[in-house]
Amino acid sequence: MFMAIARASGVRSVGRAVLLSILIPGLGQIYEGQRARGMGILLSVFITSLVVAWYGVWIWIVTPLVVWLWGVWDVARAEHRSIIVPTVTILLMSYAIGWRVAEINFSALTHNIDRAAVVLGPMVRPNLIEARAETQRAFVTIEVPCSENPPSGQRAYADLELTASAGCGQVGDVINVTGSGFWPEIESEIWWEDAIGEKLHLLEKGRIVKVETDAHGSFTSTVVIPQMRSGTGQEANLDEPLPERFVVIQKRPIGGYKITENGIRVANGILETLSLALVATTFALFGALPLGFLAARNLMDGSAASLTIYYGVRTVMSALRSIEPLIMAIVFVVIVGLGPFAGMLAIMIHSVAALGKLYSESIEAIDPGPINAIWATGARWSEVVRYGVMPQAMPSFISYTLYRWDINVRSSIIVGFVGGGGIGAWLFQWIVLADYRAVGASFVAIVLVVMALDYGSARLRERIV
Amino acid sequence: MPPFHPLKEAVLLNHTMLKVEHLCKIYPNGVQALEDVSFTISEGEFLVVIGLSGSGKSTLLRCINRLVEPTSGRIEWFGADVLSCRADQLGIIRRQIGMIFQQYNLVKRSLVITNVLTGRLGYVPLWVSLLGLWPKAERTRALNALERLGLADKASSRVDALSGGQQQRVGIARALMQEPKLIIADEPVASLDPVLAHSILGHLEELNREENIPILCSLHFLDLVHRYATRVIALKEGKLMFDGPARDINRVRFKEIYGEEAEDVHAAPVHA
Repeated sequence: MFMAIARASGVRSVGRAVLLSILIPGLGQIYEGQRARGMGILLSVFITSLVVAWYGVWIWIVTPLVVWLWGVWDVARAEHRSIIVPTVTILLMSYAIGWRVAEINFSALTHNIDRAAVVLGPMVRPNLIEARAETQRAFVTIEVPCSENPPSGQRAYADLELTASAGCGQVGDVINVTGSGFWPEIESEIWWEDAIGEKLHLLEKGRIVKVETDAHGSFTSTVVIPQMRSGTGQEANLDEPLPERFVVIQKRPIGGYKITENGIRVANGILETLSLALVATTFALFGALPLGFLAARNLMDGSAASLTIYYGVRTVMSALRSIEPLIMAIVFVVIVGLGPFAGMLAIMIHSVAALGKLYSESIEAIDPGPINAIWATGARWSEVVRYGVMPQAMPSFISYTLYRWDINVRSSIIVGFVGGGGIGAWLFQWIVLADYRAVGASFVAIVLVVMALDYGSARLRERIV
Repeated sequence: MPPFHPLKEAVLLNHTMLKVEHLCKIYPNGVQALEDVSFTISEGEFLVVIGLSGSGKSTLLRCINRLVEPTSGRIEWFGADVLSCRADQLGIIRRQIGMIFQQYNLVKRSLVITNVLTGRLGYVPLWVSLLGLWPKAERTRALNALERLGLADKASSRVDALSGGQQQRVGIARALMQEPKLIIADEPVASLDPVLAHSILGHLEELNREENIPILCSLHFLDLVHRYATRVIALKEGKLMFDGPARDINRVRFKEIYGEEAEDVHAAPVHA
């Protein structure tokens, strides 16, 4: 009302504007006709006050006050003042509150060094290659518990011979086993295997029991019969005599190295990721090409109808682009099930939108002269595109597509985490299973592939553009 | 409305080739580029448009084949109404008007022969052009056009390997492919050395004299105007200031058109 009176009187005085700015931030500017400036001040004061109240960091109430006072000072001066003071104040406050909200705590990095060592230690020994080795295996049957006709406690085949001090025993009994004819001077693994082939490392004071054969290939080992049948359900009958086994496994290097089983899994995963990204990018290319033309303003500003299409395509593309492939993958996993196909669909749809935009921008950046010249020959729209737009835009189309493939390889790794297939799916499992040597192996593979791709696509793009 | 003759490619002698009446163009930003411009062009003329930069020369030339959409006025091409015709009819009018540009407007990454062949886009069926399956006859026509302009050996070079003068000659070859009944040249020599300017304008003059193709050309240099024009129209701030024979453009007229501070700059010694 006051303003209405002031306006009606036709007099605009600086004093009145200052008074208004003191009453309500920015009102003086609005009264002076600087509506955007006044609204900006009002909103800044309002929002910064809300933020301060919300996070309860009362010291920062300084910010809205500074902006308010600056507004009064601003309206008192005739010339246009720079807005550096309120901007810096608001930025400082946002930064300080942001620091708190992000719970930044650098000392946490050093608190759990021992836990970090458990994770990082195996990771620096990636499970990719191993020394080639041969294996031999021998066992002797021991009945638990004893029946009327216990086995002999002896077993020999070829040179390997195992002799147990007893052919049967109760859980907890101590048994001596001697072996001969084994490979000499090799640390050998000892397992206990139950009647259905379930294997267990024998432990002694919490450590896995291993035996070293002597120069003649003999050893002696003392073991305690472990409890194998606990937790096998109601049918578990601890009194029923069953044949269990004492197993010795020897491994010795035969020279050279080979890829571990895990390494093969990593290679397969990487291959899956690469092909997933390749197929997704190729499909996206065909989807994005027409969209790119429809979203290029210089081709679509001919009529109201084509402009409508232009805005429609732009809107749909930016909506699709704002959804991360990761989220799309979750949706597609629900629809088509776990596996690379879900990941491919997610990446493809995101890439169609992303490439469509890049294509349209490279079309908009081309020299309009030749386009005009080709229109002037009486050519049709498609001919203008074929002879005027395509040859000019092709290098950046190719360059953007290669770049997108590069991005898609990385994002298909992420997509694998939610079931989208590829190395990401394996990586997720290994992290959950705490198999950090396998995690390390996939890191090595990912880094190698991404670096090679980076380099390769950069070189290719250099040659094309 | 008169029957649409250009559709049948029938040239009726009782129609003026090109008649421009009360042409106005106001750009969306409010600039009035053309204000009530009227003129005609007939067989065999070499009509030169002069005027300062921004006087509306380019707009005028581009309105004729509707590269720029005029705001109001009327354009008749052999009696047919250019401004109200359908898109396919406009295509047929456009293919009859060859156009040459200051910046040559060639697709630089494409081959010379491909650029020349685009001059035939208004003639060949869509599937032929889209698949790039140009018939032998069209290729021969393109090679002949290049040969006529002294570029026979450049047919399979990329345009960006050519000099400015060569590129403009490719532009003329492209226009020739249209079997034009009129050639519009928008500052065809403004980006070229004076010597090359005479070579390019010489080619246009040759077409004008030998094939009786009228030329509508905007030029900057007065000596070029005197050397080549049979008739001159002058624009100042979008308005037609002068329409008459080139010899009537004397120093007084020149100052009227270009303003008091203008000096008569010579492009190059004219070899008569």
